[in-house]
Amino acid sequence: MASVRGCNLPDDLYYLIEKHVWAKPMGGGVVRVGITAVAAKLSGGKLAAITVKAKNIGQEVKQGKSLATVESSKFVGPVPAPVTGVLLRANDKLANDPNIAVSDPYGEGWVAEMQPSDWEGEKGSLATGPAGIAAYQAKLEADNVSCA
Amino acid sequence: MADDKVMILMTSGPDTPRRCATPFFFASLAAAMDYDVTMFFTIDGTLLLKKGLAETVYPKAGGKPVSAFLEEAMESGVKFLACTASTELHDLQPSDLIDGVKMVGGASMWQLAEDCKTVLTF
Repeated sequence: MASVRGCNLPDDLYYLIEKHVWAKPMGGGVVRVGITAVAAKLSGGKLAAITVKAKNIGQEVKQGKSLATVESSKFVGPVPAPVTGVLLRANDKLANDPNIAVSDPYGEGWVAEMQPSDWEGEKGSLATGPAGIAAYQAKLEADNVSCA
Repeated sequence: MADDKVMILMTSGPDTPRRCATPFFFASLAAAMDYDVTMFFTIDGTLLLKKGLAETVYPKAGGKPVSAFLEEAMESGVKFLACTASTELHDLQPSDLIDGVKMVGGASMWQLAEDCKTVLTF
Protein backbone atom coordinates (compact mmCIF):
# COMPACT_ATOMS: atom_id res chain seq x y z
CA MET A 1 0.00 0.00 0.00
CA ALA A 2 1.20 3.47 -0.81
CA SER A 3 -0.44 6.78 -0.08
CA VAL A 4 0.47 9.60 -2.43
CA ARG A 5 -0.95 13.07 -1.81
CA GLY A 6 -3.72 11.42 0.18
CA CYS A 7 -4.53 8.97 -2.63
CA ASN A 8 -4.31 5.27 -1.83
CA LEU A 9 -2.27 3.67 -4.64
CA PRO A 10 -1.29 0.02 -3.98
CA ASP A 11 2.06 -0.74 -5.59
CA ASP A 12 1.08 -4.25 -6.71
CA LEU A 13 -1.38 -2.94 -9.34
CA TYR A 14 -0.63 -1.91 -12.92
CA TYR A 15 -1.68 1.66 -13.71
CA LEU A 16 -2.46 3.48 -16.92
CA ILE A 17 -1.59 6.75 -15.22
CA GLU A 18 -2.92 9.19 -17.82
CA LYS A 19 -6.37 7.60 -17.62
CA HIS A 20 -6.46 6.90 -13.86
CA VAL A 21 -7.30 3.22 -14.25
CA TRP A 22 -5.68 0.07 -12.87
CA ALA A 23 -5.32 -3.58 -13.87
CA LYS A 24 -4.63 -6.59 -11.68
CA PRO A 25 -3.83 -10.10 -12.97
CA MET A 26 -6.25 -12.56 -11.36
CA GLY A 27 -4.78 -15.78 -12.78
CA GLY A 28 -6.19 -17.86 -15.59
CA GLY A 29 -5.49 -15.16 -18.15
CA VAL A 30 -7.94 -12.74 -16.56
CA VAL A 31 -7.24 -9.20 -15.38
CA ARG A 32 -9.54 -7.19 -13.20
CA VAL A 33 -9.74 -3.47 -13.98
CA GLY A 34 -11.07 -0.43 -12.18
CA ILE A 35 -10.70 3.26 -11.47
CA THR A 36 -8.07 4.65 -9.12
CA ALA A 37 -8.68 6.65 -5.96
CA VAL A 38 -7.56 9.65 -8.03
CA ALA A 39 -10.33 9.08 -10.58
CA ALA A 40 -12.83 8.72 -7.75
CA LYS A 41 -11.68 12.06 -6.39
CA LEU A 42 -11.71 13.81 -9.78
CA SER A 43 -15.24 12.60 -10.53
CA GLY A 44 -16.58 14.56 -7.59
CA GLY A 45 -16.79 11.85 -4.97
CA LYS A 46 -20.43 10.82 -5.21
CA LEU A 47 -21.32 8.79 -8.27
CA ALA A 48 -24.69 8.42 -9.95
CA ALA A 49 -23.71 5.45 -12.11
CA ILE A 50 -20.90 3.35 -13.53
CA THR A 51 -22.12 1.60 -16.65
CA VAL A 52 -20.19 -0.97 -18.62
CA LYS A 53 -21.13 -0.80 -22.29
CA ALA A 54 -23.04 -4.07 -22.65
CA LYS A 55 -22.36 -4.23 -26.36
CA ASN A 56 -18.65 -4.52 -25.61
CA ILE A 57 -18.93 -7.72 -23.56
CA GLY A 58 -17.31 -10.48 -25.58
CA GLN A 59 -15.60 -7.89 -27.79
CA GLU A 60 -12.03 -6.64 -27.82
CA VAL A 61 -11.53 -3.16 -26.39
CA LYS A 62 -8.26 -1.41 -27.21
CA GLN A 63 -6.03 0.06 -24.52
CA GLY A 64 -7.21 3.59 -23.71
CA LYS A 65 -10.64 3.12 -25.28
CA SER A 66 -13.82 3.42 -23.26
CA LEU A 67 -15.12 0.26 -21.62
CA ALA A 68 -17.50 1.98 -19.22
CA THR A 69 -18.77 5.41 -18.22
CA VAL A 70 -18.77 7.22 -14.91
CA GLU A 71 -21.53 9.70 -14.09
CA SER A 72 -21.77 12.06 -11.18
CA SER A 73 -23.55 15.35 -10.71
CA LYS A 74 -20.26 17.10 -11.50
CA PHE A 75 -18.78 14.92 -14.15
CA VAL A 76 -19.34 12.45 -16.93
CA GLY A 77 -16.50 10.56 -18.51
CA PRO A 78 -15.11 7.30 -19.77
CA VAL A 79 -13.42 4.44 -17.92
CA PRO A 80 -10.69 3.63 -20.44
CA ALA A 81 -9.33 0.09 -20.74
CA PRO A 82 -5.85 -0.17 -19.14
CA VAL A 83 -4.92 -2.92 -21.60
CA THR A 84 -6.23 -4.29 -24.88
CA GLY A 85 -8.42 -7.30 -24.35
CA VAL A 86 -11.78 -8.97 -24.56
CA LEU A 87 -14.26 -7.61 -22.06
CA LEU A 88 -15.49 -10.62 -20.08
CA ARG A 89 -17.91 -9.23 -17.53
CA ALA A 90 -18.94 -6.20 -15.54
CA ASN A 91 -19.05 -5.97 -11.76
CA ASP A 92 -22.76 -6.39 -11.14
CA LYS A 93 -22.49 -4.84 -7.68
CA LEU A 94 -21.93 -1.41 -9.24
CA ALA A 95 -25.49 -1.36 -10.53
CA ASN A 96 -26.81 -1.32 -6.97
CA ASP A 97 -24.20 1.00 -5.56
CA PRO A 98 -21.75 2.75 -7.90
CA ASN A 99 -20.12 4.40 -4.90
CA ILE A 100 -18.28 1.23 -3.92
CA ALA A 101 -15.91 2.33 -6.73
CA VAL A 102 -15.17 5.35 -4.56
CA SER A 103 -15.13 3.73 -1.12
CA ASP A 104 -13.26 0.57 -2.19
CA PRO A 105 -11.84 1.19 -5.70
CA TYR A 106 -9.37 -1.72 -5.62
CA GLY A 107 -11.64 -4.24 -3.88
CA GLU A 108 -15.42 -4.48 -4.08
CA GLY A 109 -15.55 -1.53 -6.46
CA TRP A 110 -13.71 -3.07 -9.42
CA VAL A 111 -15.36 -2.24 -12.75
CA ALA A 112 -14.82 -5.15 -15.14
CA GLU A 113 -12.77 -8.23 -15.97
CA MET A 114 -10.89 -8.62 -19.24
CA GLN A 115 -8.90 -11.26 -21.06
CA PRO A 116 -5.84 -9.35 -22.23
CA SER A 117 -4.82 -9.92 -25.83
CA ASP A 118 -1.12 -9.47 -25.05
CA TRP A 119 -0.54 -8.96 -21.33
CA GLU A 120 3.18 -9.74 -21.48
CA GLY A 121 3.68 -7.33 -24.34
CA GLU A 122 1.50 -4.55 -22.98
CA LYS A 123 2.18 -4.61 -19.25
CA GLY A 124 5.42 -2.74 -19.88
CA SER A 125 3.33 0.26 -20.90
CA LEU A 126 1.74 0.34 -17.43
CA ALA A 127 3.19 1.75 -14.23
CA THR A 128 3.71 -0.63 -11.31
CA GLY A 129 5.83 -1.19 -8.20
CA PRO A 130 7.64 1.62 -6.34
CA ALA A 131 8.85 3.17 -9.62
CA GLY A 132 5.29 3.17 -10.95
CA ILE A 133 3.97 4.86 -7.82
CA ALA A 134 6.72 7.48 -8.11
CA ALA A 135 5.65 8.15 -11.70
CA TYR A 136 2.03 8.47 -10.58
CA GLN A 137 3.13 10.86 -7.82
CA ALA A 138 4.93 13.01 -10.40
CA LYS A 139 1.73 13.17 -12.49
CA LEU A 140 -0.35 14.20 -9.45
CA GLU A 141 2.18 16.88 -8.54
CA ALA A 142 2.28 18.18 -12.11
CA ASP A 143 -1.52 18.37 -12.20
CA ASN A 144 -1.76 19.62 -8.59
CA VAL A 145 -4.23 16.87 -7.69
CA SER A 146 -4.61 15.43 -4.21
CA CYS A 147 -7.22 13.19 -2.59
CA ALA A 148 -7.16 14.93 0.78
CA MET B 1 -12.36 5.27 -32.95
CA ALA B 2 -16.08 5.79 -32.81
CA ASP B 3 -18.11 2.77 -33.74
CA ASP B 4 -21.44 4.54 -34.13
CA LYS B 5 -22.73 7.95 -35.08
CA VAL B 6 -25.44 9.60 -33.02
CA MET B 7 -27.07 13.01 -33.24
CA ILE B 8 -28.83 15.26 -30.77
CA LEU B 9 -31.17 17.78 -32.36
CA MET B 10 -31.37 20.74 -30.00
CA THR B 11 -34.36 23.04 -30.39
CA SER B 12 -34.71 24.22 -26.79
CA GLY B 13 -33.24 27.57 -25.81
CA PRO B 14 -33.05 30.21 -23.09
CA ASP B 15 -36.84 30.38 -22.71
CA THR B 16 -36.79 26.86 -21.24
CA PRO B 17 -33.64 26.66 -19.09
CA ARG B 18 -34.54 23.32 -17.56
CA ARG B 19 -34.43 21.72 -20.98
CA CYS B 20 -30.92 23.02 -21.66
CA ALA B 21 -28.59 20.90 -19.50
CA THR B 22 -29.52 17.28 -20.16
CA PRO B 23 -29.00 17.38 -23.94
CA PHE B 24 -25.38 18.48 -23.41
CA PHE B 25 -24.92 15.95 -20.62
CA PHE B 26 -26.24 13.15 -22.86
CA ALA B 27 -23.89 14.30 -25.60
CA SER B 28 -20.88 14.18 -23.24
CA LEU B 29 -21.97 10.77 -22.05
CA ALA B 30 -22.24 9.45 -25.60
CA ALA B 31 -18.74 10.77 -26.32
CA ALA B 32 -17.48 8.94 -23.23
CA MET B 33 -19.03 5.78 -24.69
CA ASP B 34 -16.96 6.34 -27.85
CA TYR B 35 -19.89 7.33 -30.03
CA ASP B 36 -19.25 9.89 -32.77
CA VAL B 37 -21.57 12.63 -31.49
CA THR B 38 -22.99 15.66 -33.25
CA MET B 39 -25.30 18.25 -31.74
CA PHE B 40 -27.36 20.02 -34.36
CA PHE B 41 -28.79 23.35 -33.18
CA THR B 42 -31.89 24.83 -34.70
CA ILE B 43 -34.93 26.95 -33.75
CA ASP B 44 -34.17 28.37 -30.25
CA GLY B 45 -31.29 25.99 -29.61
CA THR B 46 -29.06 28.14 -31.78
CA LEU B 47 -29.40 31.02 -29.31
CA LEU B 48 -27.40 29.01 -26.75
CA LEU B 49 -24.43 29.30 -29.11
CA LYS B 50 -24.49 33.10 -29.05
CA LYS B 51 -21.33 34.39 -27.38
CA GLY B 52 -21.92 35.01 -23.69
CA LEU B 53 -25.53 33.84 -23.62
CA ALA B 54 -25.16 30.30 -22.22
CA GLU B 55 -23.34 31.79 -19.22
CA THR B 56 -26.58 33.52 -18.21
CA VAL B 57 -28.94 30.54 -18.47
CA TYR B 58 -29.31 28.38 -15.34
CA PRO B 59 -31.16 25.05 -15.62
CA LYS B 60 -31.29 24.95 -11.81
CA ALA B 61 -31.17 27.95 -9.50
CA GLY B 62 -27.79 27.96 -7.76
CA GLY B 63 -26.44 25.28 -10.10
CA LYS B 64 -24.10 25.42 -13.06
CA PRO B 65 -24.91 27.59 -16.08
CA VAL B 66 -25.61 26.00 -19.45
CA SER B 67 -22.16 27.14 -20.60
CA ALA B 68 -20.56 24.62 -18.22
CA PHE B 69 -22.52 21.75 -19.76
CA LEU B 70 -21.83 23.06 -23.25
CA GLU B 71 -18.08 23.35 -22.67
CA GLU B 72 -17.93 19.86 -21.20
CA ALA B 73 -19.59 18.47 -24.32
CA MET B 74 -17.26 20.40 -26.62
CA GLU B 75 -14.17 19.30 -24.70
CA SER B 76 -15.26 15.66 -24.87
CA GLY B 77 -15.27 15.85 -28.66
CA VAL B 78 -18.92 16.53 -29.49
CA LYS B 79 -19.29 18.33 -32.84
CA PHE B 80 -21.51 21.41 -32.95
CA LEU B 81 -23.49 22.30 -36.06
CA ALA B 82 -25.84 25.27 -36.32
CA CYS B 83 -28.63 25.60 -38.84
CA THR B 84 -28.10 28.65 -41.03
CA ALA B 85 -31.80 29.43 -41.25
CA SER B 86 -32.13 29.54 -37.47
CA THR B 87 -29.41 32.17 -37.24
CA GLU B 88 -31.46 34.29 -39.61
CA LEU B 89 -34.52 33.71 -37.45
CA HIS B 90 -32.67 35.27 -34.53
CA ASP B 91 -30.76 37.88 -36.58
CA LEU B 92 -27.45 36.29 -35.64
CA GLN B 93 -24.30 36.63 -37.71
CA PRO B 94 -21.82 33.73 -37.83
CA SER B 95 -19.41 35.97 -35.91
CA ASP B 96 -21.96 36.20 -33.05
CA LEU B 97 -21.56 32.49 -32.34
CA ILE B 98 -18.98 30.87 -30.08
CA ASP B 99 -15.88 29.29 -31.60
CA GLY B 100 -16.08 25.68 -32.69
CA VAL B 101 -19.52 25.85 -34.28
CA LYS B 102 -19.94 24.99 -37.95
CA MET B 103 -22.79 26.57 -39.88
CA VAL B 104 -24.67 24.25 -42.20
CA GLY B 105 -27.91 24.17 -44.14
CA GLY B 106 -30.91 22.06 -43.35
CA ALA B 107 -30.01 19.45 -45.95
CA SER B 108 -26.93 18.60 -43.91
CA MET B 109 -29.22 17.73 -41.01
CA TRP B 110 -31.10 15.23 -43.18
CA GLN B 111 -27.93 13.61 -44.45
CA LEU B 112 -26.49 13.39 -40.98
CA ALA B 113 -29.73 11.95 -39.59
CA GLU B 114 -29.63 9.25 -42.22
CA ASP B 115 -26.02 8.37 -41.30
CA CYS B 116 -26.76 8.22 -37.59
CA LYS B 117 -27.78 5.17 -35.67
CA THR B 118 -29.77 7.22 -33.19
CA VAL B 119 -31.23 10.73 -33.25
CA LEU B 120 -32.55 12.35 -30.08
CA THR B 121 -34.56 15.54 -30.15
CA PHE B 122 -34.83 18.05 -27.33
